[in-house]
Amino acid sequence: MDVPSIIQAVQASAPAEWMRTSVKAMPIVEAIHVLAAATVFGTIFIVDLRLLGLPDTRRPVTVVCREMLRLTWGAFFVALCAGLLMFAANAHTYYGNTAFRLKMLALLGAGVNMLLFHRLTFRNVAAWDQNAPVPMAARLAGATSMILWVSVIFLARWIGFTKGYDFRIPPNTHINFQF
Amino acid sequence: MHAFAAWLQASSASNTIQSVSWVIPLLQSIHILMIGVVFVSSLMIALRVLGLMRVDQPFEAVWHRFAPWMWSALIVMAGTGLLLVLGEPIREFTALSFWIKMLLLAAGVTSTALYGHALKSGVRVRGSAEFSAGAKAMSILLVALWLSVVFLGRAIAYDREVWGALSLHA
Repeated sequence: MDVPSIIQAVQASAPAEWMRTSVKAMPIVEAIHVLAAATVFGTIFIVDLRLLGLPDTRRPVTVVCREMLRLTWGAFFVALCAGLLMFAANAHTYYGNTAFRLKMLALLGAGVNMLLFHRLTFRNVAAWDQNAPVPMAARLAGATSMILWVSVIFLARWIGFTKGYDFRIPPNTHINFQF
Repeated sequence: MHAFAAWLQASSASNTIQSVSWVIPLLQSIHILMIGVVFVSSLMIALRVLGLMRVDQPFEAVWHRFAPWMWSALIVMAGTGLLLVLGEPIREFTALSFWIKMLLLAAGVTSTALYGHALKSGVRVRGSAEFSAGAKAMSILLVALWLSVVFLGRAIAYDREVWGALSLHA
């Protein structure tokens, strides 16, 4: 099955149809998506700040990660479900939208950054868990995560302003308004 | 109100915001980022009161860690919110969600300030570090209030769909 067929099937699915036809579905699902995304950003921001040694290094990194990541993953799951429903409703438009594609890329980048941090830098966390300077690799992971998540939110909002019909007149098109 | 909104929308400040294509998306993005900071900061404080997070730290330490972030983000959120209203006054003033949001926002800010003061002066179960049932209920209520504010913020774009006959657009 090629990508256009998958997009076609997603847009023709029952949840997509429900999103398009129910009056209240879109505002409710969008509000849940925004709320969950804001929670993902807020909780990850606390971890990122700690990786940058802010406000201080007294609270162990392992504790901050354990506390926050439960909330982050919970909120991410909710944002993902709501996002999938929004995508399904207008799959064709989203798939061809540059802001949407860049958002997916930023999300992928945030995921890879987190994976690398947990697989490589976090392995020797015992050495810098508490009251110790944070190594450069961990600081970089924190700063990268902040930049990528801010980008995700910016690009997500940008989709709303670029999605939909293109009203520009194609070049070399002559319109005669004298009927 | 509609006449005032129309006058504001025709002002040069409003026109500047409307005419530069990236201003409104930029303001909305900053507004959402600040919502994340305000909501999560208040959630952290509430979870501490409920005894579900950072119980190894005294409440005052948790308050001092998150309250400055919450208040600073609220100021930026209010600033971007005001500019968004200035940019699209008719869209905002003619939405029922906007007015309920403003009401709940005022209630949220006032109660958080009063509640924080009360918590610091100690509304604990006698002879224990645990907060009273009232304090816990209030923390849940405040989180619900912030959730409603965020929900209503998104609902501004869908006033008729959300409120039906009650919508000010109707």
